Amino acid sequence: MSDALSDDGSDINQDDSQEDVIMTPAELIAKLEEAWLNEKFSPELLENKSEVVECVMEQLTHMEDNLQRVKKGDAKASVHRMEIDRIRFMLSSYLRSRLQKIEKFFPHVLEREKSRGEGDPSLLSPEEFAFAKEYYANTETYLKAVALKRMPPNLQTVDMLKAVPEPCLDSFVFLRVKERQDNILVEPETDDQREYVVDLEEGSQHLMRYRTIAPLVSSGAVQLI
Amino acid sequence: MFCEKVTELIRELQRSSDGQLPAFNEDGLRQVLQEMESLYEQNQTDVNEAKTGRSDLIPSIKLRHCCLLRNQRCITAYLYDRLLRIRALRWEYGSVLPANVRFHMCAEELQWFSQYKKSLASFMRSVGGGDGLDITQDMKPPKSLYIEVRCLKDHGEFEIDDGTVILLKKNSQHFLPRWKCEQLIRQGVLEHVVS
Amino acid sequence: MDPSEVEFLAEKETVKIIPNFSLDKIFLIGGDLGPFNPGLPVDVPVWLALNLKQRQKCRVIPPDWMEVEKLEEMRDLERKEDTFTPVPSPYYMELTKLLLNHASDNIPKADKIRTLVKDIWDTRIAKLRLSADSFISQQEAHAKLDNLTLMEINTVRAFLLDSLNCMYKLRSNLQPSSSKGLIDY
Repeated sequence: MSDALSDDGSDINQDDSQEDVIMTPAELIAKLEEAWLNEKFSPELLENKSEVVECVMEQLTHMEDNLQRVKKGDAKASVHRMEIDRIRFMLSSYLRSRLQKIEKFFPHVLEREKSRGEGDPSLLSPEEFAFAKEYYANTETYLKAVALKRMPPNLQTVDMLKAVPEPCLDSFVFLRVKERQDNILVEPETDDQREYVVDLEEGSQHLMRYRTIAPLVSSGAVQLI
Repeated sequence: MFCEKVTELIRELQRSSDGQLPAFNEDGLRQVLQEMESLYEQNQTDVNEAKTGRSDLIPSIKLRHCCLLRNQRCITAYLYDRLLRIRALRWEYGSVLPANVRFHMCAEELQWFSQYKKSLASFMRSVGGGDGLDITQDMKPPKSLYIEVRCLKDHGEFEIDDGTVILLKKNSQHFLPRWKCEQLIRQGVLEHVVS
Repeated sequence: MDPSEVEFLAEKETVKIIPNFSLDKIFLIGGDLGPFNPGLPVDVPVWLALNLKQRQKCRVIPPDWMEVEKLEEMRDLERKEDTFTPVPSPYYMELTKLLLNHASDNIPKADKIRTLVKDIWDTRIAKLRLSADSFISQQEAHAKLDNLTLMEINTVRAFLLDSLNCMYKLRSNLQPSSSKGLIDY
């Protein structure tokens, strides 16, 4: 076997602003999977996980570099390649989900980014922010050039925030509880029903409105499924 | 009837609801814009009259204004829905669109598309630092890495990762790792045998 | 979610194989595997097991629950109970399909197992349809879904969630293209 492949996955020192989190590569991949599923099933765009994306990319690049140096005929190489393929798929799919939502809700996404307070975590990664701004400008320019500028003077602008639908936070989602939560308020569906509270036990699964549990998705207390 | 022409534009897209891109209806768009122009001019005249006391004109001014708004709304919907279809084409065909699709796009749409391509490319280049990541690849979860291929022409010896060397001879069939074959499949040396 | 993506997640589960080759420990990003010694059982993720099996480099040992008697018991219990009984694996359906499609020669009574798992699945999906129906007609706001697997949820996901959203829009007197959604005609 070749030495290139035998370097044990060393811990990744993740420089978080609040605390230094030490994550093993396996934990990192678990984080990516979590983020991937949450993003897939949440009706709105979630906070970006740039640090996870960057660390996973680093792991992949590192492994690919090692594979370049491996002798032909190393039986381990194909196993590593299969794993790389799987992780790369998950990473691409995660980034695609986000990009799709950015395109779908671009005026709202940019608005939220604009109204974000100093120190609040950013919804978009720097490269997503650049993409969203370009997408907005490109689409606005296009609508102007092809039709709006040929309309009567009082109709030459469109309010994008009103024109493009907002994410529907009242959508139902499926979730699994990772950390027990007590007294989650369930709002009534009709006038003759009353609101009530439920306890979300660890490991239990539920179907309910996204709005109710959105903060629990961000905090990692529940996983969308 | 007002707004009939613009409804026809929307219907046109609805008829090809499978994401196909019908030809850009420049003529239809022009007719709607003409209708808007004449509605606007009539309103200008009536507004001036109304200012001098003809308050009986106000309902028709309001009606025309609603029609103007509806026309604007529907045109924007027509154009935006086309953009979404064009966007989907980038993911389906890659950055070069087939000629028959380009033929159905107006100049401004081609421009939007080329800008979209640029934005997407620079996004993908900057992902995660380093060389970036092409997220238009890996659309499906990776499956069994070995696939059955048939050799379409003589290609000579070929070494796979585990060190074995095989002879790619015309019409021979092999069981090979997918990543090793992809390029040869694109080059037309191998074809994937779908069982 | 595409079913192939649920299958992708199922392939992460571990299964025991008996390799016919030797190889040192492999340090994957997601954790260590091996070492591999001919004849000695070792745990690997399903994606690797299937690949090795495809290349005739191992024998797959079916999971404990993939056995006719156990599955018959499960089927009977599933039919008797009104609620969803616990399943032996969160990916029982996908694993059965994957292992039976690629390693059926290593699984005793493969055909019988296929039928039993299908029976269990059908019973559960029928219950799921009933609960989805009552969830909608009772206009519930919350449901507990313990013991349901991702693949099972996935079979009703699009239909159920779309229906609920439509009903919500109708109830809150919002047409799909109301004040919001000028472009979204």
